[in-house]
Amino acid sequence: MPHPTPRLGVTGEYVLNKEELAQTPKLIPLFDSVRKIPEVMDGIRCNCGCTDPPLLRSLLSCFEAKGMARTCAICQGQARLAVRLHKEGKSLEQIRAAIDAKFR
Amino acid sequence: MILRIAVIASIVLPSLLPAQIRASELGTMTQIIDGTNISVEYSRPRARGRQTLFGTKAVRWDETWTPGANWATTLDVSKNVKIDGKPVAKGKYSVWMVVRQSGEWTVVLDPKSRRYHMEPPDSTAAQIRLPVRVETIPFTDVLTWSMPELRANGGTLAMQWERARVSMNVEVEPSLVMTLTAAESAPYLGQYKFTEQDSTGKAGTISRLTVTHEDGTLKARWTPDDPYLKKFALIRIAPDWFAVGVYDENGQIYEVLKPDMVLEFTRRDGRPAEFVIRDGDDNVWGKGTREN
Repeated sequence: MPHPTPRLGVTGEYVLNKEELAQTPKLIPLFDSVRKIPEVMDGIRCNCGCTDPPLLRSLLSCFEAKGMARTCAICQGQARLAVRLHKEGKSLEQIRAAIDAKFR
Repeated sequence: MILRIAVIASIVLPSLLPAQIRASELGTMTQIIDGTNISVEYSRPRARGRQTLFGTKAVRWDETWTPGANWATTLDVSKNVKIDGKPVAKGKYSVWMVVRQSGEWTVVLDPKSRRYHMEPPDSTAAQIRLPVRVETIPFTDVLTWSMPELRANGGTLAMQWERARVSMNVEVEPSLVMTLTAAESAPYLGQYKFTEQDSTGKAGTISRLTVTHEDGTLKARWTPDDPYLKKFALIRIAPDWFAVGVYDENGQIYEVLKPDMVLEFTRRDGRPAEFVIRDGDDNVWGKGTREN
């Protein structure tokens, strides 16, 4: 399954906030980082199995709503890698390739 | 009393209705190998006190028989595989065996997966037919499909019942290329000083990693020796990124530590000069620096 195309104008407004992460405070910095780069996270297919079949649209979706990333180490690991590579200036294509190499 | 029984029955019976005791209960055998899902679904006949089944009215010689009961046994593979060297395209097949009193049996994989056991398929070009050797084993009461042997790239698919066992070698499509040419490996060869670091980045134990090229594979070994990893494979998963492959006593890779242990090299003047090891959470375990 290919990586999704990021939705135009997508925002991180539905990424769980610190109140919603009260039970898992260690994850607040990661969710905050994800919220800042929705245009990247929305362009990544999650390899944890939650989107195959495609129940969730993208890795961004894993950090919204029921927030499966609260308990899924694969979602968390992919997001940490994406955040780091984005900070290093890597393109979405390079980030996708790195995530696939390590997690697929 | 009658009223009490009626009340109890009205409570209990609805939950019991779906249950049904069958002579050949439905069973499944599922095995994932390197991302390929291999599944056998079959009804499991029992010997029920019969000491001989093959060559009797239960399973007649030269019969095309489904190794199960009721609806034909099915084999479902999620990706292309090879069985005893023959390509088997991903999909679901009904499974049949031509059983013979002497010599090899023939396993038949028929593309029509939904067939009743009384309607064995005629021989067609679309079928996959495999000659298989029959082993004599201790008595097995319930017909059983299993994968008693597994490797990184496949395993043995076996059916056993009564005193017969039929085994097939399944090879899956590997998700990783384990080998690396000498030319591709050359830039990485040498010794690296490795400094572990804790979660705060504070430096800890120092060790050394020696990278070599042997038997077509990039390999590495820690000094002091790591008793679990011993000499391990470095399997390229991306340019300058390597996952760790762990060998068993027979020299076969049995585990690839991905995403748990990935070496990410960085180059200086075109040559790998440093690496970090990261886990699945992207935490850095430590940093290696080339010594020679």
